[in-house]
Amino acid sequence: MMHGAPEESALAALARGDFRAAARLITRIENADPSVQDIVATLYRRGGGTPVIGVTGPPGAGKSTLIDGLLARLRARHARVAVLAVDPSSPFSGGAILGDRVRMIRHNTDPGVFIRSMAARGRLGGLARATSDALSVLDAMDFGAILVETVGVGQSEIDILRFARTVLVVQTPAAGDAVQAVKAGVLEVGDVFVVNKADAPGADRAVSALRESVEFRAHAAGLEAWTPPVLKAQANEERGLDEVLAAIEAHAAHLAAHPQQNAARRRAQAMAQLVEHVAECLRMRHSLAPARTDRFEAQINALAERTVDPQTAAKQLLEGLV
Amino acid sequence: MMPIRCLLAMLGTDVHTKGIRTLAQLLRDQGVEVIYLGEHNTAEGLIQALMTEDADVVGLSFSTATYLHYTRDLLDKMRAAGVGDVPVMLGGLIHPDDEPALREMGVRGLFGPGSTLPQIVAFLEQTTGKTLPVRSARAG
Repeated sequence: MMHGAPEESALAALARGDFRAAARLITRIENADPSVQDIVATLYRRGGGTPVIGVTGPPGAGKSTLIDGLLARLRARHARVAVLAVDPSSPFSGGAILGDRVRMIRHNTDPGVFIRSMAARGRLGGLARATSDALSVLDAMDFGAILVETVGVGQSEIDILRFARTVLVVQTPAAGDAVQAVKAGVLEVGDVFVVNKADAPGADRAVSALRESVEFRAHAAGLEAWTPPVLKAQANEERGLDEVLAAIEAHAAHLAAHPQQNAARRRAQAMAQLVEHVAECLRMRHSLAPARTDRFEAQINALAERTVDPQTAAKQLLEGLV
Repeated sequence: MMPIRCLLAMLGTDVHTKGIRTLAQLLRDQGVEVIYLGEHNTAEGLIQALMTEDADVVGLSFSTATYLHYTRDLLDKMRAAGVGDVPVMLGGLIHPDDEPALREMGVRGLFGPGSTLPQIVAFLEQTTGKTLPVRSARAG
C-alpha cells in the first residue's frame, strides 16, 4: 500500500499532540475519506488508554455548561483535555448550528484544551457517524480525559454507551415525576446522574425520584454492582461540580476494583460497536461483495412482497453465522 | 458529502447578536455547518477554535465602529499562526468608505447593509470550492 509513510507521519503528529493534524484528520473522517481507514484502524488497535466521559441528557439541561465547569477542574489535574461536542443536523438542509462551544468560550485560549464540534449528519441515537473514529484520533494524543457531549434527544440516547468509560446523565428539576424516572431509556445508561439547575423548584423531588429508580436497579444488579450516585448541581454557578468529578472518579475506581465488571462492560461495548458496523455495511451496500448484494436485494424484495418473514430473511442472509 | 464548515463569531465587546444569529440560521438552512462562537471572543480564542474545528471560512459580525482595529488584529494573528489562508468575511454595519482598507488587509467578503443571502452563499461556494446542497422546498 502507498499509505505507509503518510500514515506514520500522521501518527507521529498525533503523538506530538498536534491539534491541527488531529483537526484535519477528523475532517477527513467526517467526510468519509477512504484514505483514512488505515490510520483509523491502527489508532483503534493501539488505543483505549484515555478515559472517555460521555455527557448526555435532554436539550437545555445544561450539558455544555457542565462540561465547561468540568474542563476547568480537569485541567487542574491534566496537562491536556479534549471535548467532542455533537449537535443535530437539520433533516431538511443537512446544515447545522454547532453551538456547544459558546458555553466553553473561556477555554478557547487554553492551549491545553481541544474542543471539536461535530454535526450528527443524519444518524439517530445522538452520536455522529464519525464520532467513534474521531475518538480514536483523540485517544492517541495523550489527553488526560475526553469528554463527549451528545445530541440532547432524551430517552433514546444510548449510543454513548458504546464508547464511554463513564456516562453522565444530566437532568433538570423540570424532568418530571417518579413515573418519568422509572421509564426505560436513558436512565438505564447512566453511571452518574446530575440534577442540574438545582436552584429551580422541584430539585429535591427530582433527586429523590431518580434516586429511587436508580437504587432499585442497582439493588437488582447485585451487591457488587455500582450504584449510580444522584447529585445536585448548578453548573452556571459552578456549584456541585467538584462532587460530580469525584463521582466520575469513584466510578473509575469501582471499575478498576472490579475487573470482571470492567471486562463485561468493554465486551458489551465491543459487541454493540460490531453490530452497528455490520448494520452500517448493510445500509451502505457498496461495501458488500457483489454476490452478497444480490442476495441482500433478493431478500428485501421477498420481504416487501411478503413471501418471507423478516426473521427468516435475516437467518438466510446470515447463513453460516446463525 | 463535504459540507461547508463556517465559523461565525463576534470580537470584542459588541453585544448585538441578532444579525449573526439570523445568519447562522439562514446558513444552516442552506446546508452549512455553522460553528457558532457567539460574542466576546478574542483573536487568540477564535484562532484556536478555527484550528481545532478545521473550519473552511470565518464570518465576523460587527455593529460597532471598532471593526477596522479588530479585523486587522485578527488577520495579523491568523497569519502568524499559519491560518492566514482561511477566508474571512465581514458583515453588519460596515461602512462603504472602509471597504478598500478592509480589502487591503485581506478580508475576502464584505456584506454590509443590504447584502443578500444569495450573495453570501455565492461567496462561500466560490471561496471554499464546495457546493451547497440544493435548497429544499422548506428552506427556500
